[in-house]
Amino acid sequence: MADDDIAAKNPQRSGTNRRRFLMASVSSAAAPAFVRAATADAAAQRNSSGARLPADFTLTINGRDYQLAVDPRTSLLDLLREHLALTGSKKGCDHGQCGACTVLLDGRRVLSCLTLAVAAQGRAVTTIEGLAKAGALHPMQQAFIDHDAFQCGYCTPGQIMSAIACVNEGHAETDADIRESMSGNLCRCAAYPNIVAAVRQAKPVMKTASRD
Amino acid sequence: MANAAAPTPKANMGPAAPRIDARLKVTGQAHYPSDTPVGNPAFAVLVTSAIARGRIERLDLDGARAVPGVLDILTHENTGDLNDVKFGHGSGTSIEDLGPEIQQAGQIIAVVVADTFEAATEAASGVKPAYSEQTPSATFGSQGVTQEDATKVSPQHKHLPQAGDAEAALAGAPVVIDVEYETPTQHHNPMELFTTTCAWTGDRLTVYEPSQFVYGLKNGVAHRLGIDPDKVRVVSSYVGGAFGSKGTMTPRTAMIALAARRLNRPVKLVATRAQGFTIATYRAETRHHIRLGAARDGKLVGYSHEGFEVSSRPDAYVVAGVEDSAQIYAFGAVATKVNIVHADRNTPGYMRSPPVVPYIYALESAMDEMAQKLGMDPIEFRRVNDTMTSPIGNRPYSSRSLMTCYDQAAAAFGWKDRNPQPGSTRDGDWLVGYGCATAVYPTHTGPAAARVRLKPNGEARVQIAAHEIGNGAYTVIGQMAAERLGIDLASVTVEIGDSRLPPAPVAGGSNTTASSCSAVLKTCDLIRARLFHAAVTANDGPLAGRSADDLTLRDVQIAANDGTGESFADVFKRMGVAIIEEYAEFVPNGLKPQAIADLYAGKLAMVGGSHGEKVMYAMGAELVEVRVHALTREIRVPRIVGAFAAGRLMNTRTVHSQLMGGMIWGISSALHEATEIDPRYARYVNDNLADYMIPVNADVDQVQVILVSEVDHDVNPAGVKGLGELANVGTAAAIANAIHHATGIRIRKLPIRLEKLLQA
Repeated sequence: MADDDIAAKNPQRSGTNRRRFLMASVSSAAAPAFVRAATADAAAQRNSSGARLPADFTLTINGRDYQLAVDPRTSLLDLLREHLALTGSKKGCDHGQCGACTVLLDGRRVLSCLTLAVAAQGRAVTTIEGLAKAGALHPMQQAFIDHDAFQCGYCTPGQIMSAIACVNEGHAETDADIRESMSGNLCRCAAYPNIVAAVRQAKPVMKTASRD
Repeated sequence: MANAAAPTPKANMGPAAPRIDARLKVTGQAHYPSDTPVGNPAFAVLVTSAIARGRIERLDLDGARAVPGVLDILTHENTGDLNDVKFGHGSGTSIEDLGPEIQQAGQIIAVVVADTFEAATEAASGVKPAYSEQTPSATFGSQGVTQEDATKVSPQHKHLPQAGDAEAALAGAPVVIDVEYETPTQHHNPMELFTTTCAWTGDRLTVYEPSQFVYGLKNGVAHRLGIDPDKVRVVSSYVGGAFGSKGTMTPRTAMIALAARRLNRPVKLVATRAQGFTIATYRAETRHHIRLGAARDGKLVGYSHEGFEVSSRPDAYVVAGVEDSAQIYAFGAVATKVNIVHADRNTPGYMRSPPVVPYIYALESAMDEMAQKLGMDPIEFRRVNDTMTSPIGNRPYSSRSLMTCYDQAAAAFGWKDRNPQPGSTRDGDWLVGYGCATAVYPTHTGPAAARVRLKPNGEARVQIAAHEIGNGAYTVIGQMAAERLGIDLASVTVEIGDSRLPPAPVAGGSNTTASSCSAVLKTCDLIRARLFHAAVTANDGPLAGRSADDLTLRDVQIAANDGTGESFADVFKRMGVAIIEEYAEFVPNGLKPQAIADLYAGKLAMVGGSHGEKVMYAMGAELVEVRVHALTREIRVPRIVGAFAAGRLMNTRTVHSQLMGGMIWGISSALHEATEIDPRYARYVNDNLADYMIPVNADVDQVQVILVSEVDHDVNPAGVKGLGELANVGTAAAIANAIHHATGIRIRKLPIRLEKLLQA
């Protein structure tokens, strides 16, 4: 959807004292990504720290480059969810206590709520949306379905990202290993035994896939 | 290797079909309300009260307004056009939101709206209230609390169970115990935060909010805004955990709707985890005084149970779980009483198995103490007092399989190896204990309506405003339609969680499957009847002249017993229709037809449980092994076995997950969870997920679920007893009992942490 269309439907958006920073992606993907940004007011009223100035930077997310200009205080999680419509990563605490926002940075699991978006520059961000290839589920996604490793599903994207890293880190050798290594991801529905079973199933499949 | 998550169905159990929403959930494509894209939203951040009792004298907003990007700040001074909320009428609280009167810590006092989340967050920190403060009353024992008899003030609990002369029975009983128990404050803490997104199109409002009752929320918000409920739509396609916290309207929804109206722009709120402790409900702390009397052979002769529950200053919220505890054994004489203790707190509310979690914990602990005193095995003690008749009014159980559950669980667990002597079993530095307790949950059924559309190719669409909170609602509703229409589950599209659909009850009281599937069943049967009629009254066709009673739907065909069939396509063609669509309203026995109209208006009545001519309960038996370290008193639960009977089970996979998760909730109640309250300020201390203890993966070892076959034709047409709130009942008692067995120490106050054992 072109941003002009949004503005036409929402007159407030094109208010007289606000100017939008519109950024198109520079990736090879067909659809340009538009990003809502900090307001011109913010730029006009910069304070000494410059905290409200939009920061211009580029991020690589799920293999696609996004050129961005957002408030530098924006967390990677809020960037994904509120600016890029990648809402698979979830906000469960915003304090790094629950793991629902887990994404991979250069293959390592990180809490996107504790990561400033600008700090992810130059690193490959992988989110739950980037796992399935051409409609084929990642072995870990399939294993979560097979073992009913969720109920409400809210922690699930974070669990799956964490589980993939858990296997790649070599921390999935025993059930006790898996339980320990997956304990940064809370599941209030308490699907824990099924999560362990899913990781156990996916591990050899992931290894086979990586050899191919 | 067998897949423990997908148990093989036994009699009266449906298949372990994978969830039809599973793919969406593992790919991040299931849209929870705050994931729903809306055009150009403004972002709201709440400001909450630092005091628990007093008054806002002044709100300095200058600092907040100076933050670039701030659009609006709602306070008590500019929101007078919101109608008051009233507890018990769809709202979970009557505490006047935004002040100026402050009746609880963490009460919302301002809503800051800005162009970005970052700006709104910064500005919220610039709202500076000045209070006049009074000393608050925090909890039991605090100065200034008031106490009242629940039967005098709670319309749902005017009469509590009584039978015979309990005082006389206890006075004459050869063996008596007289004990007190305590349970702590708990917060639901679903992983999904409390979010609200509101968007207006002209005078029509759409609310995207995780809700366990979209019709209740729709009508409640309309009341607060003073608009026609038909102009409000609530969308809640997926709920990221709820456990009761999203069943009643909270004050935030109308505030966000108002903010969106004032700005003529969508407004989005994602409340913080800490705010979730005070802007919604919680499980209140309780105290119990129990006396049991028994003959030397173990037969109970008397049961007295007095409960105490904390509530807020204005509201008489009470769970009164004696309603249920008094039904479950052959007690002889029964006396019950419940007291509400009002403190300066937010109003408590439903949290997974509200009445039975605290009250059955107390009863099942007392049962263990009595068995100990009698020198009886605790399972045999329950067998002696098992009954098919409630002691309250001698009413029969519609079905009851408690001892079958115990027997199957005991066999799987190896209970016979238990040395009855406490402190007798040791494995190295670990003291080993076995404990058991009964799980019980009242069966509720409510009114519901559904619309079902069938196409000649066997594709169907089911519409019902039920709620997917992890219960598997999409899946079991789809299964019921597939079964009745003779089509594959994959051919069924299920639409739920939207107040534009026909209404279903709150996803509470474990009624979703029973109520929704009964409505879907009834609606599908209207379609069946139309198809059968067309097939048998045809002038030609393979089924012409047959009796409709001999027909069924199978494999996208109308099929007769002898194998003759006619395809949907042919029958539709003869009927001259492209689709068949039916709408039906299901009202359970015991409710007036008006119940559906009330449900449309957001008012819900349910039947079952301890009320009615037959008492209706799902039941289970939970057996646990605990290990207590002899030196450090660290407590572990290496295994837990639960066997459960709950009428028809629609899907053994979703059922297994709910029961397994429920038992882990029970472990959490026993050993982990408690909201700590600062008695000086009536504030919650550990209002975050690092300090509010819930189990992590490493806390959970072997959890075995045994599904017990049971048939019950009385509960509802679907034959389903709800079980989403069954397995977390009794668990805490089983663990406390096992800890006693391991150590000889009886802890009567939850949660049981190692410091309590070290102090004992």
